Amino acid sequence: MNDFKLYAEANDWGLLVPEISLAFGALLLLCREALRKQGRESGGGLAFLLQGGLLVYFVARYLFFDPRPDSAGESAFNGMIQQSFPADVMRCFFLGCAFLTSLFANPGLRERRLPQAEFHALVSLAAASMMLLVQSNHFLMLFVSLETVAVCFYVLVSYHRGSPYSLEAGLKYLVFGALSSAILLFGIALLYGTAASWSGGTAPSDPLSFTMLEQFVAANSDSLAVRAGTAFVLAGLAFKLGAAPFQAWVPDVYQGAPTAVTAYLAVASKSAGFVVLFNLVTGPLFGLREFLIPLLSLVAIITILFGNLGALTQTNVKRLMGFSGVAHAGYLLVGIIAAIGMHPDVPEKSVFWAIVFYLLSYSLASYGVFGVMGVLAPTEDADQPRSLYSSLAQKQPFLAFTLAVGLGSLAGIPPLAGFIGKLLLFVVAFQAELYGLLAVMVMGVVIAIYYYFAWIRETVFPPLPSLDSSDKEPQVLWSPQFPSLLLACILGLLTLTTILLGFYQSSLGQSF
Amino acid sequence: MSDLIAAILLVPLCSAALILFFFRRDADTAAKLSVGASAVAMVLALFALFQNIEIDAARISWLKLGDFELSFGFLLNGDARLLLFVVTFVGFWIHVFSLGYMRDDPGKARFFGGLSVFMFSMLGIVVADNLAMLFVFWELVGFSSYLLIAHYFHTDEARAASKKALVINRLGDIGFLLGIVLTQVRFNTLEFAELEQAALAQPELLTAGLGFLLICGFVAKSAQFPLHVWLPDAMAGPTPVSALIHAATMVAAGIYLLVRIDFLLVQEVFSLIALLGGAMALYAGFCALVQRDVKKVLAYSTLSQLGYMSATVAIGMSGLAMFHLATHAFFKALLFLGAGSVILGCHHEQDVFRMGGLRKRMPWTSWTFLLGVLAISGVTFTSGFFSKDAMLLAAYEENLPVFVMFLVGALLTALYMGRLHWLIFHGESRSKAARQASESGLTIIAPLVALALLAVLGGFVSLWPESLSSVFVQELEHVHESTGNRLVMTFGALAWILGLWGSWNLYARTRDEDPLMKKAPVFFRLCESKLFFDEVYDFCIRRPLRHVAKVFEALELLFISGLMVRGTAGIVALLGLATSAVHRGGLRVYALWFVVGLVVLLGYALAWWEF
Repeated sequence: MNDFKLYAEANDWGLLVPEISLAFGALLLLCREALRKQGRESGGGLAFLLQGGLLVYFVARYLFFDPRPDSAGESAFNGMIQQSFPADVMRCFFLGCAFLTSLFANPGLRERRLPQAEFHALVSLAAASMMLLVQSNHFLMLFVSLETVAVCFYVLVSYHRGSPYSLEAGLKYLVFGALSSAILLFGIALLYGTAASWSGGTAPSDPLSFTMLEQFVAANSDSLAVRAGTAFVLAGLAFKLGAAPFQAWVPDVYQGAPTAVTAYLAVASKSAGFVVLFNLVTGPLFGLREFLIPLLSLVAIITILFGNLGALTQTNVKRLMGFSGVAHAGYLLVGIIAAIGMHPDVPEKSVFWAIVFYLLSYSLASYGVFGVMGVLAPTEDADQPRSLYSSLAQKQPFLAFTLAVGLGSLAGIPPLAGFIGKLLLFVVAFQAELYGLLAVMVMGVVIAIYYYFAWIRETVFPPLPSLDSSDKEPQVLWSPQFPSLLLACILGLLTLTTILLGFYQSSLGQSF
Repeated sequence: MSDLIAAILLVPLCSAALILFFFRRDADTAAKLSVGASAVAMVLALFALFQNIEIDAARISWLKLGDFELSFGFLLNGDARLLLFVVTFVGFWIHVFSLGYMRDDPGKARFFGGLSVFMFSMLGIVVADNLAMLFVFWELVGFSSYLLIAHYFHTDEARAASKKALVINRLGDIGFLLGIVLTQVRFNTLEFAELEQAALAQPELLTAGLGFLLICGFVAKSAQFPLHVWLPDAMAGPTPVSALIHAATMVAAGIYLLVRIDFLLVQEVFSLIALLGGAMALYAGFCALVQRDVKKVLAYSTLSQLGYMSATVAIGMSGLAMFHLATHAFFKALLFLGAGSVILGCHHEQDVFRMGGLRKRMPWTSWTFLLGVLAISGVTFTSGFFSKDAMLLAAYEENLPVFVMFLVGALLTALYMGRLHWLIFHGESRSKAARQASESGLTIIAPLVALALLAVLGGFVSLWPESLSSVFVQELEHVHESTGNRLVMTFGALAWILGLWGSWNLYARTRDEDPLMKKAPVFFRLCESKLFFDEVYDFCIRRPLRHVAKVFEALELLFISGLMVRGTAGIVALLGLATSAVHRGGLRVYALWFVVGLVVLLGYALAWWEF
């Protein structure tokens, strides 16, 4: 009995309640699906209830009522997991993303008669693994959770299995995901190999742990193997972020995936990548900062320019969102560079807050936009030309307003949250004296306004009457449906938050 | 108590917002909302006044950059309380008047929304506790004035006038803004209370240059020389707007600004203002003498009275100026509203030579208008008498040239106001419209009566509540103790008696044209030309600027639009095409990207190692 009590006190599983409950929730969904009677479709209600309930509970618990007292955090599972307040914020963030994804995807799944329970189970599992990913303090943990996320996404991307676009996207994501995993693993192996055979200093007993690698890398920053390993790890992560030159898959996969999955991919998966990158470059790889800054700067510049220029000529809005997602990854990379290049007097937290706020504003705006896209999507989800949105403001003012606010926030127009997000990033970049990168960011933002506003214009202003009246095309009488009340409320809430965060956000940053 | 002030500010703003968003097509609701808002603001303001409150601590930070901070706060001293009362009280009656005057106007909702915006911004100026906040509201009144002048935007006159008012006010505001920036640089604060202390502590920081920049705002807003040309044209707006904005309140905001920042101004600046004010009192009187449009006469009269006020501030008697500001608001609003009633009665006829004989047909309007004329002429025991007499006395004591200008100005005032009254209400009706005129309704008569009461009784200091009269009562007693008291009062009485008598002789039996044109043609032409200000500005400023503008236009077309905008857009578009051309969808091509990327990263790692 005494032993049992000791065991209960010593175990760390209690720290992972959110992840475990999500995983069990996913299992529950699958079990109910297996036991349901033939011919009766199971809706998404249970999934929303699960994810929504967990979201409310954990946001309340981890962020408001019982926040972690010190951001130093605590280590668990022999250093596999490192928990901290910022990590808790991200865990709640992924839970929120999962909830929104499930909610947005459900009408589309029902319409196309695709199984719903499996979808929500996969979304929940992906969220659980991303939550583990941001807490991982060990390369093994990192790789396993990363792979779990990837496997869930392989299925999710090709979930519209009747659509060739979706299948193509799934295939591409699988091929490049596997490629990048291999590269990442190779990088890890290089680091592991050199660290394990390191004879100087206090030899790390576990060469994959971040804490021990940090000492090793700092002492061996001129070793070629360390540099090559780092470069490979970064390449593997850059795939997740959609950063150049590993961004080639992004437009195709974003276009083909079901719209809600695109949103999940664009927001949650990318954010997870950024948090991992942040943890790596400020943790184990910090000793290589002189090596990393030029490298990442180059990547950021190419990413920003490539994303924005590519988006410029797109007429399919899902592809456009793909390219613009690449551009946003570039801006966030600047934040990462600021984190390592920052003057030591400036606390690391302020940079992290800038990145988190950017992710938050980006996710609010993206989910708003993708939510509207999901409502308006035709049966072939991948086929969404910009002309689909023509005169939306006359037909569905609410959807048009949500879309316009979302796009405005993505473009960084004051007084929306996206503007403040960009401003915070600009400020940290300025503090870190990254003037060249700042200039590129400004250029990117200017280009971005063009393509976002072209979309808004299509939505708000009626098309010019054709001068050539002879070949009048038969007007497609298309009247968009109003979304369900729940969906409309959530969209309204996203829009409202986007507007409010533009006016007031400073006290949120104090928590870090 | 700052909540109360905030409520006074927010009520008109809410009304404006509601009208903008919900009642643009429902004109009657909009009108009721706006009048209701002004009534609530008045009641709250009266409540605040009888509480006799002083606020200078309530302040919220709005923008903070390092040491530099912009805040919003309220400073409610005596001057502010007096103006708060004048704005809300006169504003309320003018709102009521507008109900009748704008009853059938197609743009009624827009008009009332504009009035509410104006009330909000004007009250903001009154209670602002720092220059930055004052400037924000300063621009807002300019904006609402622009909106309301252009109410009849289908006429060329209103469009041109609104543009002129906006542009000329911008000119002044540039100077004002530079002055504010300079103040911030020198004193590192914009709060009035802190500025006053700083100015006392370091008088060497006050320079004439700073003063001249700061008074630019006053010169444009109060339409003083040389930026006075916009006010007569602004009469193209609806008459209630002319009464509220361009006579009683907004143009007086310039005077109020002078009073609020008088500790920042040095002697040279005051001398200039005194001179300009006195000259304006004279010049505008001459111009008013020959105008045919009833509203233009009143506009020039406003210019002249503003001249009186600014000169009085400049000779150090700002309390008296505030006193005259209040009485002037009463009788000038009354006169404008009376003119509005006449214009309505005569079916939008504004030419005084096509009126006449309206005394019998519009008795209420006629009698109240007469009271207004008596008050502005300074007839003994009306409100205008008390305030004007005090200003004459102050000028007599402090600055003799200004006194002479004031005195001649007073004579001219009685002359042109008498002329206006005789021409409109006496003699024969000189047009069909005048013969068919009829008295206006209750919503028009009631404000006239209310304002007439104040125009007559407003001069008795004992009738004022103490929280308002404390501003001017000391200075009033001080000037009445001076030696020239009796002499000046005699001169003042002579001025109005001569003026009214002269105008009766000249104009009471007029037929169709101005008798002055025959009797003194040179003088008449000179007055009518308004000393060629518009022409001189046209020749000296507009034409040369037009040539300069053409050169800039050509440069802009070539370099900015052509090379920079189109050029960069073209290059970016090409790059965009090239970028999307790489994403053709081939799996092998994408894989090649990966490999290239890897090789580059690895190469970089190697190259770094070499160093």
